[in-house]
Amino acid sequence: MTRTTALRAMLAAAGMLGFASTAFADAAADGLAAATAKLATYREKPVFKAPGPAFDIKSCAAGKKQLSIPNASTNPFLKGIIDREIQVGKSIGLTVQEWQNQGQPSQWVQGVEYAIRNHFTVIDLISGIDPKTIAPQIEAAKKAGVRTMTSHFYDPSQPRTNLTSSDLPVSFNTIGKILADWATVNTKGAANVVIVKTDEVPPTGPLVDGIRSELAANCPNCKIVQEINVGITEWATKIQPSVQSAVLAHPEVNVVLPIYDSMSQFVVPALRLAGKTGKVKVATFNGTPFVLDDIRAGTVDMDIGESLDWIAYATIDGHMRDLCGLPQPAEINVPFYLFDKSNVADAGVPAGYDKGYGNAYVTGFRKLWKLEK
Amino acid sequence: MAVTVAPQAAPAPASRPRITAYTAERFALLAVWVLLIAGFGVALPDSFLTWGNFSILFASYAPGALLSLAIIVPLTAGDFDLSVGATLTLSSCIIGVLNVWGGVPLPLALLAALLAGIMVGAANAFFILWFRIPSLVVTLGTTSLMTGLVQWMTDSSTIGGIAQGLVTAVVGGTLLGVPYAFYYALATAILMWFVFEYLPLGRRLLFVGRGREVARLNGIAVDRVRAGALIASAVIATAAGAVYAGVLGSADPSSGLNYLLPAFAAAFLGATTIMPGRFNPWGAIVATYFLATGITGLSMLGIPLWVTNVFNGGALIIAVMVSQLTRGREASDIG
Repeated sequence: MTRTTALRAMLAAAGMLGFASTAFADAAADGLAAATAKLATYREKPVFKAPGPAFDIKSCAAGKKQLSIPNASTNPFLKGIIDREIQVGKSIGLTVQEWQNQGQPSQWVQGVEYAIRNHFTVIDLISGIDPKTIAPQIEAAKKAGVRTMTSHFYDPSQPRTNLTSSDLPVSFNTIGKILADWATVNTKGAANVVIVKTDEVPPTGPLVDGIRSELAANCPNCKIVQEINVGITEWATKIQPSVQSAVLAHPEVNVVLPIYDSMSQFVVPALRLAGKTGKVKVATFNGTPFVLDDIRAGTVDMDIGESLDWIAYATIDGHMRDLCGLPQPAEINVPFYLFDKSNVADAGVPAGYDKGYGNAYVTGFRKLWKLEK
Repeated sequence: MAVTVAPQAAPAPASRPRITAYTAERFALLAVWVLLIAGFGVALPDSFLTWGNFSILFASYAPGALLSLAIIVPLTAGDFDLSVGATLTLSSCIIGVLNVWGGVPLPLALLAALLAGIMVGAANAFFILWFRIPSLVVTLGTTSLMTGLVQWMTDSSTIGGIAQGLVTAVVGGTLLGVPYAFYYALATAILMWFVFEYLPLGRRLLFVGRGREVARLNGIAVDRVRAGALIASAVIATAAGAVYAGVLGSADPSSGLNYLLPAFAAAFLGATTIMPGRFNPWGAIVATYFLATGITGLSMLGIPLWVTNVFNGGALIIAVMVSQLTRGREASDIG
């Protein structure tokens, strides 16, 4: 190889390197811009979008009864949804009753049998009861003419069982993407993330996939440093030491994403003890009031919330469409809303479950249901 | 119900091999702990072998250490107290409800939690001693009862925003780089060691646990000793609840029960060390932090968390097994 040829080769290599690094920088900047734009939509006050054509809900609901079975009645999120479903039901002539339970499958079985014996029209399995767990009872209910529906459980991408009459899934994948975009924007495209997750809960898969895919798409410099999988019953004993260990073993970590916000009560003390409060950002999902209070206190940075009342309206809407033979929406269609220090005061002091989301949906649904003009 | 460990024969002064075996047994777990630390230190020299890591470990496991100390008091007297986990939760939630929702000053909220703890211990003692119901049954019942009460009073919600004073008193300040939480557990262990070893009360507790009828015939007020042990257990569990609330800065209505089995594991593992064959406070402390070291090291290595459960269970079974082998497989009535 002559000197000239070698020089040319070096120049070409340098050019390629420069081109690659420029392209990489462009990709990072583009990703940051894309993430910023996406986040902006979730910072705006939620707007009502009709989940389907208008219909006369009162004629659908007349004389019908719905038994709502939560994953566990001790969960205030689910309890809150059902309390509101009962109120919405009263306004349209639908009897809604809760099957109180402590999260034991044998109690869910009892609930389904109770619905069959007492001639309920709909069984609503709310947020966390996998129909396959109580398949024989659901089959028996089907034979007895009782329709079983799930709400706020699956991700739309997950395969549905044919046990249920219809389902109102939530896009957990979108939630994962919001968390990833938030991490990207709030670290200027340099997030080193620890994810705290619970694989045994079915929505976890699509949610974490959303984080992974969005970071890959919008943040070439971001990295998932560690994924910590903790079973629900071990949250109290395992999350804190695991997060402490993760941030000490990997000092570059600057974001922790406990994907369900009740996990954050164990993440916050972990960061406090590790001396990382304020240095490591915490973003999560669910909009639970005590976590919103933590945002106000500065120990959590962001929480993605949903209005329980809106979920109640959307659930009743979907189930009544099923009863009347109308097409089902692909998702429950309750908008996600970002709470951070700038708007957390809207959620109340102390924070409440339904504050800060506006009430556009109330008029929206009532008009859609032909209760108002 | 007798839950004493088989009496450890006092080391015969003339028997050097016996002394060696006894000494080896006393310090075996400590030695394994040091080896464990060395192993993780080699694997993670930059992150594991730091004072910061150990100071955090000492503080964050303080509630668990207190709970294992609480358990060994009635265990020494021959009673199980399964209600300590629920008492921890009750204590932290009373503090949360009164302080955050009720606006009650922190000292009064702590006092209310203490009174509730004493009542729990007294109720356990009443049902166990007056009605002669096995401690396992009574404390299982009070656990369920307290769990329900806590759900009712907290509306099953975590209560955030507990007064900063408690957080500061537990993890806000440090001594030798270690947050105060650890020293509360340490102080409790010192107090218990003093009572167990140097006060007649400690001896009475042991005699009652080893043989109630013999203790009664020797003039010991057996029921009074057992009642005192159950109340002491509840009071220590209440303190564990206050420390737990301080570590979290919130009151969680559902997590206390998850501490119960690790605390029992530490109590029984602790009975194989320092004073083998006897539930002892230093053994409980060593066992708690031995298990915590395993969990921390494994977490830092990024090993899935189910491995930590295998580690906990395996360590307990192996330690008790080795202890039994060391003592020639003497009959033991643990559990």
